[in-house]
Amino acid sequence: MRDYLLYLKQGKMSIQAYVTPCFEVDLMYWRDREGCQLHIMGKSPSLALVFSLREMINTHLQGLSGTGKSITDKALANLKQMITGYVHDVSHLYKREATGIESPGKEWFEWEESDHPSQEYGNSVDGIGECTGNSPSATYAQVLAGRSLLWEEVGTLLQKRGMADQDCTAVLQQMVLAGKAEWKPGIRLSMKKGWWRNRLELKCERCGSGSGDLELTVCHSCGQGCAYCTVCLGMGRSKCCTPYVLVSAPKVVSAVNKREQVRDVARLQWMGSYSKDQARAAEQARRFVASPRLGLDEFLIWAVCGAGKTELLFPSIAEALSAGGRVLIATPRKDVVLELAPRIQKVFPNARVIAVHGSSAQKWDDSDITIATTHQVMRYYRRFPLVVLDEADAFPYHNNLVLYRAVARAVQAGGKLLYLSATPPRYLQKRLIPSKRSFFIRTSSRTPLLSASHVLLPGRYHGSVLPVPDVVTVQGLHKRVQSNRPIAPLVEMVRSSLDNGRQVFLFVPRIDDVEKVLAYVQQLLPAHAPQMAGVHAADTLREEKVRAFRDRQYTLMVTTTILERGVTIPRSDVVVLGAEAPVFDEASLVQIAGRVGRSIDDTTGTVLFLQADRANAPKAAVKQICRMNQLAQKLRAQEERN
Amino acid sequence: MTKSCVSCGNRIASSLREASVRSWARQLCNQARYPIVYRLLAGLPICAGCLDALPVIGGPICQRCGRELEVGIATGTICHDCKLVTEETLVSNRSLLHYNEWGKSLLGLYKYRGDERLASFYGALLAITFFRYHDPTSFACITTVPLHSNRLHERGFNQVDLLAAGLSTAVGVPVQSLLQRTKETAKLSKQGGRTARQESMREAFAWTGDRGVSIPFGTCKKPYKILLVDDIFTTGSTLRSCASVLRAHLGAICEIYSLTIYR
Repeated sequence: MRDYLLYLKQGKMSIQAYVTPCFEVDLMYWRDREGCQLHIMGKSPSLALVFSLREMINTHLQGLSGTGKSITDKALANLKQMITGYVHDVSHLYKREATGIESPGKEWFEWEESDHPSQEYGNSVDGIGECTGNSPSATYAQVLAGRSLLWEEVGTLLQKRGMADQDCTAVLQQMVLAGKAEWKPGIRLSMKKGWWRNRLELKCERCGSGSGDLELTVCHSCGQGCAYCTVCLGMGRSKCCTPYVLVSAPKVVSAVNKREQVRDVARLQWMGSYSKDQARAAEQARRFVASPRLGLDEFLIWAVCGAGKTELLFPSIAEALSAGGRVLIATPRKDVVLELAPRIQKVFPNARVIAVHGSSAQKWDDSDITIATTHQVMRYYRRFPLVVLDEADAFPYHNNLVLYRAVARAVQAGGKLLYLSATPPRYLQKRLIPSKRSFFIRTSSRTPLLSASHVLLPGRYHGSVLPVPDVVTVQGLHKRVQSNRPIAPLVEMVRSSLDNGRQVFLFVPRIDDVEKVLAYVQQLLPAHAPQMAGVHAADTLREEKVRAFRDRQYTLMVTTTILERGVTIPRSDVVVLGAEAPVFDEASLVQIAGRVGRSIDDTTGTVLFLQADRANAPKAAVKQICRMNQLAQKLRAQEERN
Repeated sequence: MTKSCVSCGNRIASSLREASVRSWARQLCNQARYPIVYRLLAGLPICAGCLDALPVIGGPICQRCGRELEVGIATGTICHDCKLVTEETLVSNRSLLHYNEWGKSLLGLYKYRGDERLASFYGALLAITFFRYHDPTSFACITTVPLHSNRLHERGFNQVDLLAAGLSTAVGVPVQSLLQRTKETAKLSKQGGRTARQESMREAFAWTGDRGVSIPFGTCKKPYKILLVDDIFTTGSTLRSCASVLRAHLGAICEIYSLTIYR
């Protein structure tokens, strides 16, 4: 069991509290520097408690700072008394919260007061300074740069790099004292005083979840009252007693001799060409990445489904790489990560590209371009000067505060965040698209095509219009499916599609509906029955089935929203059965309609939304698609005029 | 707050579960136990679909190790594996569920990921198993398979202790800690083969029951029963090793039964 020590450092100007796992390092460190006096306050095995005490003492000392320079024995005794009282209060509060759990000892939190005499260090030695270069601290700093890891993960990472043989606590503490690294307890503990009763406040430092998502336990690692976070449990247990180490990456200043190498890494090998619109958008994004303007740190590329979003990124990525930085492409979905990695590697042949997801073997590798799921981004800390967030409106990123925070934290100070979406959520639109709203007249329908913080690409790369969905309201839609009565528009459309050799996506709102609807369609169209299949998220054969659908072994696929994005199948049509269901929101329906007519040799197709009663989302989706088509048309007309 | 299913994360709709709760309760116990087993089942944080799909051991079982007797693994009422055991220290083992992929991932979530919220779920499952096969008044105490102190420190919690605590409150039999682990064995799942497991388990446990045990074991003349709890029975080497230590200290007068979730 490791103890954490709390001590006060009294320098010439100020007095401050510090926490350390190994006091010797701190002794050495302060001895080499300014003349100061160290007062050891005491120790405890609970990291969260010690940090909470440090915070309490620092605010207390700040309040006192005006009164006098040196701290008297009486004041020290007073502080020690304060600490004991605080520990007692926290124990008491913890007991109240943790009902039904027995405490490990007499009290929930142990605090061992120190009667160690204060130590003073002369102010003579001032010359040694910082030893740089080959010190172990430098190599550690390099390995850990830009990562935020729990203690166990630090061990794993060092083991992967073959550095696991020595204990890194001392080296890390040196880095912390030098201000290169930061460390915190996995769960922060604090006491809020109220007029009615005091409260214990817990917060996960990694994912930012509050008390509601944290479970209190007796922990056998620290033998104290402890808590762990249930939200980010899948990434390892973040606990009160686990140190959480944050090291931000240093800003890369590309040295002269390195420049040649950097240019090589950033070499773009891509034979394709842009349409006029694409070129304009790509250039705008590149300019954003290159601009040194402060305060301009977010950019939105709003490009309709099938506009060729990935290609738009190439110039921006090349720009960031040639500045000597690393690039992160984050996306909520694992399948997108797997699909994107080889494509990016192909166009940047000299860059190291890694795909990072839960079961990836490359998780701990170093790279120039990292392609990661948004959950894995949690392990990075101010690492990337350019972060691209693909599919910013997809599950599970959308509406997940934990992941918003994670992605924002991966950006280096002064770095850039590039959002990429076909259906940007409202909050992004509001934030990044300046509205041309005059003071009296609202002209909200006019969305500007570009501004300093966004670019809108309303047309597809092949220049054809987006297929506009037909919305049909069918009375008793679900009853008809239940009782096997035919739905005329559905049967007509599916039959004509299949007879013409096209493939059909049939979207249903719930997993339970997949089987039912599949049986229903098979019974209606017995001729095509063997080429029909159903798939949903929990399906064990999911990947095989989707592959078979791509290979045209199946011609009709009944699916939940899992296939709404990321799947391109040429010559296909789409039906949504039950478009009024709440899972199909506007963004989701626009994405679904975007499956159709993506390839250059087949730019049209049918999109049919069947709803049981009138709903807003299908109407809004149609409106959005029409608006995009209008904008694209206007743009084309403008170009012709020029 | 509506609870979500521990295995699939969906919302639990109690109206849909009623039928399957009743049918499981009918299958798992006799009429006298029906109310208590029904209540335990109804309290499980699991949705209707997952409850229906629980891989419960049914049909004839091996009288020793409690595994389901499929075709070809046994003649009579004892399976071939159990017949090979020369020194039987366990009277019997009973388990509730087959150890399949579902069980593997869920138990992994509990043990290795450390999702302690599953403790109440598994505790209730153990209690159901207990009521299915045993009579609560007959046991002197419950004891658990211990973790090595290094492992405990690394993991931060003892998964079996949490289960035993849940079981104890449900059935009213006290938990006593009687054993400690003296040898740090590699994770069982990382060891291959039956003999390797038996070899590593030899003398891995020691008696610690003299500290603060309230039941006067030594003085009892009547045979008494001890229930040994673990999460999974794979080859039985762990449980048998524990049982032999217990019998060595308490004499042949005690009978050791074991109870696990998975078999």
